[in-house]
Amino acid sequence: MIVAIDIFLRLTAWLLLAPLLPGIINKVKAWVAGRRGPPVLQLYFDLAKLWRKGVVLSTAVSPAHVLGPAVAWIAILSAALLLPVGPAGASLSFRGDALLFAYLLAFARFCIALAALDTGSAFEGMGVAREVSYAVLAEIAIITALLTLCVQTGSVSLATMLAPSAGAGAALLAAGLFGVLLAENCRVPFDDPNTHLELTVIHEAMVLDHSGPPLAVILHGASLKLLLFAVLLVEAVLPLGKLSLLPAIGALIASVFVVSISIGLVESLLARLAFRRVPLLLTTAFLLCLFALLVAWKGGMP
Amino acid sequence: MTPGWLLLIAGGGFVAGIVSAFKSPRGWLVMTIAGAVAAFAAAVWMLASGVVWDWEPGFIIGGEALHLQLDGISAFFLILLSVLGVVGTLYSSEYWSDKNHPASAPPGRTWWNGLLLNMGLVLLCANGLHFLIAWEIFTVCAYFLITCERQRPAARTAGWLYLAASHVAMIFLFAFFSLLAARTGSWELGLMREHPELAPLFWLALIGFGIKAGIFPLHIWLPSAHANAPSHVSAILSGMAIKMGIYGLVRFTGWLPTPEAAGWVMAVLGVISAVLGVAFALGQHDLKRLLAYHSVENIGIILIGLGFAMIAASHGNAAWGRLALAGALLHVWNHGLFKALLFLGAGSVLHATGTREMSRLGGLWRAMPWTASLFALGATAITGLPPLNGFVSEWLIYLGLFDAVSAHGPAAFAAILAAVALGMTGALALACFVKVCGVVFLGMPRSEIGEQVHECGWRMRLPMLALGSACVAIGLAPLLFWSAITTASTAWRPDLAKALPSAPLITLGSFHLALAALMILAATILWRRVQSNGVSRAGTWDCGYTAPTPRMQYTAGSFAGIITGWFDWILRPQRHAHLPKDIFRAHADFAEHTPETVLEKVVEPAGSLLMRISTTMRRLQHGRVQSYIFYLLLGLATLAILAVMGGAK
Repeated sequence: MIVAIDIFLRLTAWLLLAPLLPGIINKVKAWVAGRRGPPVLQLYFDLAKLWRKGVVLSTAVSPAHVLGPAVAWIAILSAALLLPVGPAGASLSFRGDALLFAYLLAFARFCIALAALDTGSAFEGMGVAREVSYAVLAEIAIITALLTLCVQTGSVSLATMLAPSAGAGAALLAAGLFGVLLAENCRVPFDDPNTHLELTVIHEAMVLDHSGPPLAVILHGASLKLLLFAVLLVEAVLPLGKLSLLPAIGALIASVFVVSISIGLVESLLARLAFRRVPLLLTTAFLLCLFALLVAWKGGMP
Repeated sequence: MTPGWLLLIAGGGFVAGIVSAFKSPRGWLVMTIAGAVAAFAAAVWMLASGVVWDWEPGFIIGGEALHLQLDGISAFFLILLSVLGVVGTLYSSEYWSDKNHPASAPPGRTWWNGLLLNMGLVLLCANGLHFLIAWEIFTVCAYFLITCERQRPAARTAGWLYLAASHVAMIFLFAFFSLLAARTGSWELGLMREHPELAPLFWLALIGFGIKAGIFPLHIWLPSAHANAPSHVSAILSGMAIKMGIYGLVRFTGWLPTPEAAGWVMAVLGVISAVLGVAFALGQHDLKRLLAYHSVENIGIILIGLGFAMIAASHGNAAWGRLALAGALLHVWNHGLFKALLFLGAGSVLHATGTREMSRLGGLWRAMPWTASLFALGATAITGLPPLNGFVSEWLIYLGLFDAVSAHGPAAFAAILAAVALGMTGALALACFVKVCGVVFLGMPRSEIGEQVHECGWRMRLPMLALGSACVAIGLAPLLFWSAITTASTAWRPDLAKALPSAPLITLGSFHLALAALMILAATILWRRVQSNGVSRAGTWDCGYTAPTPRMQYTAGSFAGIITGWFDWILRPQRHAHLPKDIFRAHADFAEHTPETVLEKVVEPAGSLLMRISTTMRRLQHGRVQSYIFYLLLGLATLAILAVMGGAK
């Protein structure tokens, strides 16, 4: 019973807090640009409105167009359940859940990609092609980051891996994971979440033909994924698992806030990269994780 | 009933099937399925009881006493063989029916049974000579199945290449078995780990079995053979015949001592096969050829697990080796199941549309909802995504690798590289299967072929459904299959005691179950919500362009373009482009083709060099008697000189 309540409370927290991040990022961008910007809660309003709206479906689509986003959303949500929150640990924690976490996110990508290809549009095809190609590099960076944490702690379970700090290589790992975060969540400099010029973007091109509740599910899932990566980044770097509960949660919230402000600043100060440069930047993120791994390796040697 | 009787029924069923193949297709169907079910029962009996069935009836065949043995490893592979045998038999009764293929269907049925029977015999033979005989017969049966459509030149070339490659493998196996027999003094096989002098023979076995398994770069025969065979044959070739190579490697690394480097070499070959297999797959435009390259990839994944298991075995049986071995063995089953499912799905597409060319397909889900959804299920499984079976086996291998890393042992660095390569393989496979499912089944038909297709009948649908359910079952309840894996691992190395899984399979299984339930629930809720909010239909957003055609959809080639660009150095795609030049452009086209690089850039040039040397040598043989007498004198003189010099010593 207690487990059920615990899971329920955590799920509620994840679901309710996730749409806050894009709001904060947009606010930061607006401030840097000298605008007032949309309210921080804008995404909540959008989601509520989309959920009530009717749906325009393309004549080409199969049921996968609607079912894909739902399945992807569940995959991201269950990945969230595997992520520990400070010393409270994760609601579900077992040996090897770190890999399940990475593969659940891959499953979400698979579903969204198929739902996008379903429309038969060349724009969506282009977006999906870019998404799945760059994901190859992001994936090896994530696996390397997990290996680093595994070397550090000798465990393959996220709750143990994320409890201490990443040690000497923490800065390298943070930089690498921040790069992966930007790429996986379609932020500048990899992708531009604001433009609707189909030819220049990845994620927006994939969801061009979605509308109504399925679009709401996709947008909420995307914000959840962003929160997931922000929490992963913070916990990999800071020894939150070693603090007591309240300070840990306070530090977590503050750090996630800092991460979102940094994303906002990056988006305000950098331009989107040319597409042929994207693999180079992602490879850099991978190499940063690899160097963090080597540092952890040397540090862990008896 | 003991396994002996069951296996006798199985053998009898297959032989009776051969007899009735020409006269009565229905009788063949019943006999063959009964035989495969009996073999299945025997294998399950062995794995459940753990008792090795050993049979030496005293028959002498070819001068050697017959010795059959069903132990954990044989039974493990026999289960896969019988499952694929049943589904393939049922599938072919509709797919390759007498009505559509009057000339090739009856002999095809004969060769099919010969293939099943002899693969089963290879698994059972505990005598080197009989092993070789059964191996050769099943290889030849597969040749006749690959060339079922021998009116097509592509099928003849593929068959010829397969036959040549298989016989190169055969030469190595001959050498392996005869050296083994020469050194031990008997053709009997069994545990011989106390003879360290046998260790170098491993390299012969690695090449011989490696060619059959399709390890990169020995895989040259595999893509064309799988692509040109009838689809039920592709399914059993990819699901089982290449696993015979893995069986050979597992069997003889278990029975014989191995060199120190063996595990490392296997792991390296595994990494190369996994990454390059999927890279080549991405470059393909032919549906079945693409699936064939994925076999190379999955064999690579199996070899990574097996290689690390061997490294662990030579370092005091570390626990991570057991996990890697369990993952490799489970992946043998998993790959057999989902790859057969995908090939049968591809066969259903080919049956309906008559083409394997992906750029001519599209939007098939409308006419073929069963095939499309089952193919998507197989694609999810082969990509290694939770909650299906592919994830379970890859997860076990990952756990083994991660444990090896955190153990800081001698294999840790290699395990880091292997884990990264495995992650890369997974992401590349995801890209590849998004491409396949999207291009073939989603969107709109790209040519007029896609418009008048039909769903396949129940005898083709049921096998796919069975394979799909097996993929789901292993994904949701992996613990049920654990005892089979431990029985096989104990047969591989008896010093590996039967152990409970050191991986939390129950937790993973329950997580998968909950995940599947939640996904269905969420999909239902969203579906209802969409329906209740009201749906209106409109064309796909085309940026305001007024005359879109289905041919403007993204193609398979453009989709994979980014990744194939990264692998240009090995894929070496050939591009032919006529770009539009003038304002009033007359003609423009673009074609891209990814060759089998190893075959076309290495093997064929080497072959033609050999031919050129041979042609030059043939000038010695010209028919002039005088010169021949001169050669004779020269030979005699040389011999005389040798004799004189030898005598002087």
